[in-house]
Amino acid sequence: MTEYIHKIFAVKTTAKQERTVADNILRVCEGLADVHVLAIIAPDELRGYVLVETPDNLARMEQLVEHVPHARTVLHGETTLHEVEHFLVPKPAVSGIEEGTIIELISGPFKGEKAIVKRVDLGKEEITVELYESMVPIPITVRGDSVRVIERSDESN
Amino acid sequence: MAARKKQAKVCMECHRFVDGESCVICGTSNLSDDWAGYLIIIDPEQSDIARKMNISLPGRYALKVR
Repeated sequence: MTEYIHKIFAVKTTAKQERTVADNILRVCEGLADVHVLAIIAPDELRGYVLVETPDNLARMEQLVEHVPHARTVLHGETTLHEVEHFLVPKPAVSGIEEGTIIELISGPFKGEKAIVKRVDLGKEEITVELYESMVPIPITVRGDSVRVIERSDESN
Repeated sequence: MAARKKQAKVCMECHRFVDGESCVICGTSNLSDDWAGYLIIIDPEQSDIARKMNISLPGRYALKVR
């Protein structure tokens, strides 16, 4: 297993400002010679935090955060890439959805409607569904991230 | 702010954020504005994350591009 040498700190941000904070950290780092940041991750799955890779200690990160707009605090625990590397390879939006799963559409013209999954396209991350309460079965293809799983199919058990 | 950034285009080959109509690194015009996850690499030589992602140039990247 690869040995990761640098620390990763989680910086708490204002809601929905994760990318702004990442950009701001980059800008502030250019001006502060004694703070070394190697990389910044702002995963979509992790709301309200950005992850900062650095060889420096916590005190330096606290010093950095004071200069960064929309950054609130640094969490006191430190971690390594082992614990956060799953964020670097995002899961496909259709993972956990298979044929027969009952879902609810959460965006688009059919928002709020329940539907049953008929086909899953892993490559395009799309699913084809049929609305539950529709008289005639009309297949609708929607993006994997615009649905919420309500009930998984029994076959998966 | 977030809405403006969502429109930013990302190279589908190298996942790098692109300002113009084509990627300056790979030369491709195969761009996408449907992306998720944000990664900034500042020091690719020392960064564990850059090594893990096989990134050798500093810059802004998307973690997932559709």
